[in-house]
Amino acid sequence: MKRIVSTCVLLGLLLVLPSCHRKPAAESLNLFAWSQYIPQEVIDGFTRETGIKVNYEQYDSNEAMITKLSQGSSRYDLVQPSEYAVENLIHRNMLEPLDFSLIPNVKNLDPQFRDLPYDPGQKYSVPYMTGTTGIVVNTDKIKDPIRGYRDVFQEKYKKRIACVDDNREIVSFALDVLKIPINEVTPENLAKARPLLAQWMPLVRVFNSDDTKRPLAEGDCDLGVVFCGDAASLYETNHAFKYILPEEGTHQFIDNLCVPKGAEHKEAAEKFINYILRPEVSKIISDKFPYTNPNAEARKLLTPAQLANPASYPKTDHLEVFHDIGPGTKLIGELMSELRSKE
Amino acid sequence: MAASVVLQVSEAPGRRAGAKAWLLLSPLLAWLFLFVVAPTIILLCYSFLTGTGLGEVQATFTWENYRRAFHGAYVRIFARSLEYAAITTILCGLIGYPVAHYIGRAESRLRNRLLLLVMIPFLTSFLIRAYAWFIILGDQGLLNSLLESLHVIPTFLSHRLELIYTPTAVIIGLVYTYLPFMILPIYGSVEKLDESLIEAAADLGAGPARAFWRVILPLTWPGVAAGVSLVFIPSIAMFAVTSLMGGAKVRLIGDEIEDQFLSSGNLPFGAALGILLLALFLISFLLFPRGREE
Amino acid sequence: MVAKPARGLSSSSKRSTSRRRRNFPRFALAWWTTLTLVFLYLPIALLIFYSFNRSELNLVWQGFTLHWYATIWQNEALMGALSNSLIIASSTTAVSCALGTVAAWLLYRYRFPAARMFNALIFFPMIVPEIIMGVSLLLLFSFLRIRLGFTTVIIAHVTFCFPFVMIAVQSRLQGLDPSLEEAALDLGATPVQAFLKVIVPYLVPAIVAGGLMAFTLSIDEFVVTYFTCNAASSTLPIEIYGRAKRGLDPSVNALSALMIAATIVLLVAANYVRRLSSKPSPEK
Repeated sequence: MKRIVSTCVLLGLLLVLPSCHRKPAAESLNLFAWSQYIPQEVIDGFTRETGIKVNYEQYDSNEAMITKLSQGSSRYDLVQPSEYAVENLIHRNMLEPLDFSLIPNVKNLDPQFRDLPYDPGQKYSVPYMTGTTGIVVNTDKIKDPIRGYRDVFQEKYKKRIACVDDNREIVSFALDVLKIPINEVTPENLAKARPLLAQWMPLVRVFNSDDTKRPLAEGDCDLGVVFCGDAASLYETNHAFKYILPEEGTHQFIDNLCVPKGAEHKEAAEKFINYILRPEVSKIISDKFPYTNPNAEARKLLTPAQLANPASYPKTDHLEVFHDIGPGTKLIGELMSELRSKE
Repeated sequence: MAASVVLQVSEAPGRRAGAKAWLLLSPLLAWLFLFVVAPTIILLCYSFLTGTGLGEVQATFTWENYRRAFHGAYVRIFARSLEYAAITTILCGLIGYPVAHYIGRAESRLRNRLLLLVMIPFLTSFLIRAYAWFIILGDQGLLNSLLESLHVIPTFLSHRLELIYTPTAVIIGLVYTYLPFMILPIYGSVEKLDESLIEAAADLGAGPARAFWRVILPLTWPGVAAGVSLVFIPSIAMFAVTSLMGGAKVRLIGDEIEDQFLSSGNLPFGAALGILLLALFLISFLLFPRGREE
Repeated sequence: MVAKPARGLSSSSKRSTSRRRRNFPRFALAWWTTLTLVFLYLPIALLIFYSFNRSELNLVWQGFTLHWYATIWQNEALMGALSNSLIIASSTTAVSCALGTVAAWLLYRYRFPAARMFNALIFFPMIVPEIIMGVSLLLLFSFLRIRLGFTTVIIAHVTFCFPFVMIAVQSRLQGLDPSLEEAALDLGATPVQAFLKVIVPYLVPAIVAGGLMAFTLSIDEFVVTYFTCNAASSTLPIEIYGRAKRGLDPSVNALSALMIAATIVLLVAANYVRRLSSKPSPEK
């Protein structure tokens, strides 16, 4: 009997032991960011230099992030909203103004990314990476020309298509095809987009924003609508993956680093932002996730091959940008839930 | 298992509860109130509020959420969840019953070993096991490679089987997760079978089929009922496996509630769906014939 | 009651025909069972097999290596998740054992007017879909402005784990000799002392069994944890789910293989304890 008790106590101690080897963190940083967007190497480098432990929690859409922030039971120090999400958060007074005296490296950014319309005066955000959403095609498998969404969502590609799992994005494809401005999300416009979307949804094989490139890399899908960084990665491994900006139109996104209200480690967050803006660190990010880098100094460090990657640095005309659509989000959510249930 | 214990209160040589007993019970009561009763009440309250998306909630009373829940799309989602749960339960029953039967009537050492073998997957993380199916079901996965090397693919099937990210994959995932839950209760019933009854049936001229149908199955029915309630009811609300295996395309009620709470941010609507699921759940739990151990 | 003939034995010739007829179904059943076990274990075997794969992508075999087993220990995220899982499971088990034992004892010992309702409430989290529990707890913590983290996860886990301890203890209480407690009281012990010094030792095997169950449940718990944790308290299943959506590298396979091994060890230990407790307890 006593043996059982002592064995259990021993077992108990053994189990708690692994936690003892962890050195108590001097300070920590609660990072809430997109998945597949901040390399572990960068985070580890930051921890090594400053001793600040980074807790990296991930999300796969702006809406998920904003919802979590609204719930008041989580405290994050750094979030990574896209431009329209920054608008929404500023509007709802959920961001802290940044102390730019702690972020001198902000001068490394290309001037066109300073003081952008969604954050007048650049008080709350620092651009992290930018890019476009577009079409990627495995030209080894598909020989027909693909020029736009209509070419992608055809019956003959049924179940060979991968797509980002982002309601707002998907609806914007339909709006682009119908030549409706992508920010005019009204019940009437959505009603017009509905039949098109109802036709498209069953053709998609996988909806995934975390790792859209995997089905394409593994051959489960032959084409898809993805974020440009994924397309650029695919291109780097195999030049057969071509990136095409849809002829019907697409949008540009700018992802930013911001500090939410109530953050407990604001200074650590600002240190992190400053760290990211270093050219050599920014280069590491571009190496791993080849989006369009807004950091002019970092761009000087990139190889010609990287700068020539048509997915990372496409020839862009004036592209649209998402804006905060307020109640439109709910309408989109309802429409998409309904369409997804029809499978 | 647990199901039958719930409404049972052990016959105790109990004294009447004095003040001291109530005092000792109070931590438990506090715990139950805080973490079982209160959350459910809050969920109910939230379901009547107005959600504007992205986590914003307005404190205005409305029936809108329930109205929307009875709308076509969500009824379809509920129906589909029930359908998949039913299919999963039937498959688990068909696959699991013979296994439980064999183990239950095996001799003691073999029986213990087989039981252990059945329980090990039961206690390892279902996510890990479900993920492994990707290796088998993928387009470039093992199953397709096997079919190709056996030349089944060019001759009988025109192209590789597209199994992953489909409803089939979801069902496979569900059956895989819940199979041990069906096997173990049935085994419990089979093990208690009185061998002499079966011998008697054989003596009276019944063949194995009739003996099974008339004698064994009715006697093991409590185990089957327990197994069914352990598989059907939880699988209605499963979400992680379904979203992994189905590529986020197969939308079940669990996925939908998760989406409302964590992505779309319409908390009151998610709460309404949750309450309806809870109601559905309680109804099937109460209606389900659980049989009694005799 | 008809005496049960020993299994497999039969004497009359009439029986031998039916035995041969019975053997065919038996043979078929054996095959079916084997197939089912293969179905159950094939993915696990593949997982372990590919944990030795040199390639990062799980599908292409590129040679044998122990690399992943070596590197998981340096993987901060995985190790952090593992240690979180262990801490949470240990705490959950401790609290569940305490709560479950006390609850079982009080409900056994005293007749409370609303005992049925208490029972129903206690088992409510066990039978209700986990997603409902997860979501409602999220709302509760949100409402009370309690920060998500270790505490919230442990609370969630305890709430549905302690009923298991309670069941195990209740079972054991059925066989309790009431005179044990009476004897202790007669010898001058207070009810609390009697409980701690006489009853609890008797209950230990059940507590251990229930505790092991609670521990394993907590380690593998995903759904409720998903809604009540944050990055600092991320557990192993959460970490694995995240990675599964993003494409796993074989280090997760390696860790899973180790966890399966650990589960087997735990199960065998539980079996051992159970067999020990079924032996008659020595008189004190």
